[in-house]
Parts: sequence; C-alpha cells; structure tokens
Amino acid sequence: MGSEAKKESEDKSSELTTTQYLVETIKQLQTEIEDLKRELKRIKGVPSGKIGLAFIIPGALALISSILNNSNILAFIGLGLTFWGVLFFFVRPVRYVQSSLLDSTAISTYKTIDRIIKDLKFKGKSYYIPPYPKEVYLPDYLKGLEDPVVFISADAGGMPSIEELAKSKFILKNPKGICVAPPGIGLLAQFEREIRKDIAKLQLTELCETLPPIIVESLQLAKEIEMKIEDNQIYVKILDSTYKNLYRLEENLKSVHLLGCPLASAIACSLAKASGKMVTIQRDNVSIDAQTIEVWYHAVEGLT
Amino acid sequence: MNFPMNLSDISLWLAVMAIILLITSELISSATEYSRNIIIEKKRLRVVALTLGLGFMATVIMRVFQPF
Repeated sequence: MGSEAKKESEDKSSELTTTQYLVETIKQLQTEIEDLKRELKRIKGVPSGKIGLAFIIPGALALISSILNNSNILAFIGLGLTFWGVLFFFVRPVRYVQSSLLDSTAISTYKTIDRIIKDLKFKGKSYYIPPYPKEVYLPDYLKGLEDPVVFISADAGGMPSIEELAKSKFILKNPKGICVAPPGIGLLAQFEREIRKDIAKLQLTELCETLPPIIVESLQLAKEIEMKIEDNQIYVKILDSTYKNLYRLEENLKSVHLLGCPLASAIACSLAKASGKMVTIQRDNVSIDAQTIEVWYHAVEGLT
Repeated sequence: MNFPMNLSDISLWLAVMAIILLITSELISSATEYSRNIIIEKKRLRVVALTLGLGFMATVIMRVFQPF
C-alpha cells in the first residue's frame, strides 16, 4: 500500500513537472511567434503614410518655388507630387488584417457551442429564426424578436412559440433547445450596409442576385459564389471561402456543420430575413481541401 | 508672385490625372482576382478619379462659354 502511494505521488509530481515544462515551452514559443510577427511586419510594411509624405514634401517645395520663380513646369511637378501624396493618404485602408485571423477568432464561438451541445446531449437541427423588420413597432415584452437568433433543438421536436422567443432566453423548455446569436450576425449587418437596404424588404430571388457580388467583390469573402432556389430549398456553392479553415480543423467541430461558418450563417440569416420563414441548414458538403463548400438551406414554415 | 498656371494649364493637368486614375480604378475593380492583393480603398480611388474627371469637364464648359 505504502509503495503504491509513493509511486502515485511520484507519478503526480512527474506529471506536474512535465505540464510545467510544457506550459513554459508554449509561453516561450508564443513570445517567439510575437517577435517574428513584429519583425515580419517591420520588413514587409512600407506604410502608405510615409510614401505620401515623401511625395507631399517635395511637391510643396516645388509649388512654393514655382510661385517664387514664376515657373510653369515647377508648378506642374509640384501640383502632381502634392496630389499623389494626398492620394496616398486618402486611399490607404483604415486597417486590414490577415484573413487567417478571421477563423482564429471564430473558433472559440464554435468550440463553446460544441461543448454546450455535447454537454446537453442535443441531437437536433439548427433553425435560423427571422427577426421582425426594423420599422415594425414592438412592445417591450416582444423586443426579443428584433434580433436574428438560431434555435438549436434537442431532438427533432417542434418549433418554439413567439412568446418563448420574445423572452430572449438561452435555454428553452418547450420544445427543448437553446437559442444563440448566429455566428454570421455581424456579417449580416455588413451585407445590409453594403446593400443600403433592409434585407427584409428584398424578395428571395432579388437576394440571390444581390448577395453574390457583395460577398465576392465588395467584401471579398470568397472567390466565387453561386445561389440557386430549388423549390423549398436554396443551394449555395462557395468557392475559396475566407472561413474554409474552420472546416479543416483537426477537432472536426460539429457546430460548424450545424450552424455553418460565419459566411454560411450570414447567408442563412439573410434568407430567413428575406423570406420571413425559419431557415435550417439541411446538409453541407465540403471538399477535402475545403476549397468548395456546398450548403443546402431549407425554408421551414412560419412561426407558431 | 502669381501662381504660374492659368485655367488652360489646370484643365490639362486635370485631364491627365483623371485619365490615369480612371484607368487605374477600372483595372483594379474589374480584375477582382488580382486586385484582392491590392490593399487600398478602391471606392475612394474611384470617387477621386470621377471628381477629377468632372473637374476637367467643368473647365471645358467654362472654356466654351468664356474662351481663354
């Protein structure tokens, strides 16, 4: 008995030492990564602000000397340089981040939802519930219906009632399930900003024509996108999505397929909003390299 | 100590700048695949190009009504 206890304590202490060693190594590696990132940024980045200044200063000098010397050529040079300098300041982006950071920040949400689903042993589907249009007046007790939500059902049971949804609860009891904010809620707002219209005012066919160019050209979230309406089903094919890495993770996140990546989720929110019906992700198909993502959405009848 | 450019010079300058910027903005916005790597505010560039183009048109109209 004594030797067993001694062995156990030795095991524990060795485990602790290994964990400590690993934690220290991870910390060291993280600082190394940060240093390397900083160095890469320093080497790579020639800020457009500096280029702008390099144009503006000689441009202004040339303009001043053109006035002093009454020189036409100097005025042309000065005006040109100043203009390009100002343009460099003007057209530089507010702030751009690497696209790989997008999925890194989204992972935590999906992992949390995965944990919840696993813990509560949910085996149902996700239902994107359409919000009420912005201009519709809702009394205080119905304010919970203003935001789009996803209802994850515990099993293949029914849909929650309006009263239940209006309470903005997380856990619903009848039918059993949880209500969470869709991962694509931010993108949905971005879509509306680009369209300059409330998506609720668009027809489904209009949405299928408007959304792809916004995703591909304006927001550049994918290389190509195809949206087709087939009976009660909407087929979406996304090529080279910014969020493709979420489907390739080793952990194989269940919630990514259940709720869709932020882009697929935002499309589901838009479809729900435009149709005024609940939308569910019927199935998805992801190629091995995740370059092609196919999603089949299904419109479910209105709220009860 | 006068500014050594008259309206005709400014008109010429506006035309050249507008052409350069309009071509650039068109090339950037049409070639989506390549322009993905160009990190600039494409909309602003287009607005500037169009403004310069309109500025040039304004000088042309001024020239029509008041030759210089």
